[in-house]
Amino acid sequence: MIITRPKPIEEILTMLEKFPTSTICVVGCGICARKIQTGDEAQVSSLVAQMRSHGLDMLDGKIVKHACSAKSWDELVDENPALAQAGILLVLSCGAGVSFLGRISGKPVLPGLNTTSIGGSLANDTIEGVCSMCGECNVGIYAGLCPKSGCPKSQVNGPCGGSSDGDCEVEGRKCIWVTIFDTLEGIGMLELLDDIKPPVCHDRRL
Amino acid sequence: MGFTDALDSGKFIVTAEVSPPRGIDISGTLAEAGQLQGLVDAVNVTDNQRAMMRMSPIVLCHKLAEAGFETIMHMTCRDRNRLALQSDLLAAHALGIYNILVMSGDYPTMGDQPSAKPVFDLDSVQLLQLIEKMNNGFDFQDGSLDSSTSLCAGAVANPGARPLAPQLLKLNKKVSAKVRFIQTQAVFDAAVFNEFADAIRSIGIPVIAGIIPLKSARSARSMNEKIPGVNISEDDIERMEAAADPVSEGLEIAAETIANIRPNCQGIHIMPIGGHGNTRRLLEMCGLD
Repeated sequence: MIITRPKPIEEILTMLEKFPTSTICVVGCGICARKIQTGDEAQVSSLVAQMRSHGLDMLDGKIVKHACSAKSWDELVDENPALAQAGILLVLSCGAGVSFLGRISGKPVLPGLNTTSIGGSLANDTIEGVCSMCGECNVGIYAGLCPKSGCPKSQVNGPCGGSSDGDCEVEGRKCIWVTIFDTLEGIGMLELLDDIKPPVCHDRRL
Repeated sequence: MGFTDALDSGKFIVTAEVSPPRGIDISGTLAEAGQLQGLVDAVNVTDNQRAMMRMSPIVLCHKLAEAGFETIMHMTCRDRNRLALQSDLLAAHALGIYNILVMSGDYPTMGDQPSAKPVFDLDSVQLLQLIEKMNNGFDFQDGSLDSSTSLCAGAVANPGARPLAPQLLKLNKKVSAKVRFIQTQAVFDAAVFNEFADAIRSIGIPVIAGIIPLKSARSARSMNEKIPGVNISEDDIERMEAAADPVSEGLEIAAETIANIRPNCQGIHIMPIGGHGNTRRLLEMCGLD
């Protein structure tokens, strides 16, 4: 799941100043952003109402099944011919969804959210920073807890000196290395951590 | 005797820390180091410590070398990718800086440039491996260097960090990258340090224990809160509170700590709060002047 956070309305209004006055349609993404309630029906209609209160010409907001799928966009347009009148799409999805809708709709697009990490949803909590998309996944040796994303310093060979009583030196975070260590110790597999892990090869993602 | 000779000889080593300035005038820092003349085996120079922006330690180490000091340059993994790390190691060596203390580096949000990109392209283990490689004449990608480095690499450890086992996992990996010495976080509890020294004795690497003389009960409490692994006892804080002259009391406490850990380490590293005005006095109290 791609984790997103809402942009302040002031930032959206400032971005809009650079575009010619036009009819705007807010489009939420029906997958991740809907699940973590940054691009669900409530967020879409709330944003539409706020923007109308600023005097902007708004269509009723929509949810596209997947913002990163051409087929989903085509279906949405078929079901909602009024979308053709939209001069600008204000998209509540991850950055990939915004970019993709821009390519396939041919309309100017603006992001309504900031994309922060890959994570997941656990009960009512959004879990951020679960994967760093390094292109060389070896999360299995870390008890399924990736330190490249779960540790702010991406330490792959053990904790840094800032780990203290299970807390990270970065405020409000737990040291993922303590959890990795305890989990592997609990299942008798600490030797998975023995080898020195090499740095990430960043060219593999090109 | 040079620093590496001192390490090899088993001599009890004294090092002390200075920090580069936040501007372009290095005279104050050189004067600060001047107080250490004849007292220390080497002067450590920090690398944007606590993630606070300062002048590059390469320049200051070079100037200190010109003034006759042997230096230990701190190098964090926070601010440079592998290209820049290699480049700076070559630059340091060319300027007569042969001792490098490797550390992860505090996270940018701890310092005064919180929006900086945290690099951490290599971790401290991988940087130590890189130094070993460069000492063997190769760069990170196994290309040949025109000339090899001969750097003496040190690692840091935190005896008070809990849980200790994950820290030891990391430390053992650092040691396998041929570190020549281990420098510790500030020690305030001799028993904790001695337990740590016992746990790593079989490694056989010289340990230099960090020492911060307390200046006030207030700063002691603040260090307990802010520095991971630092645990200044209530007894010591009460001594500081009751003391008519807290600075002298802090030096007394430091001298007692040094006496209690001395059999279990090969040196001490003095990193005082606010300058080296009392470093000579502390070393005199310990018979290390």
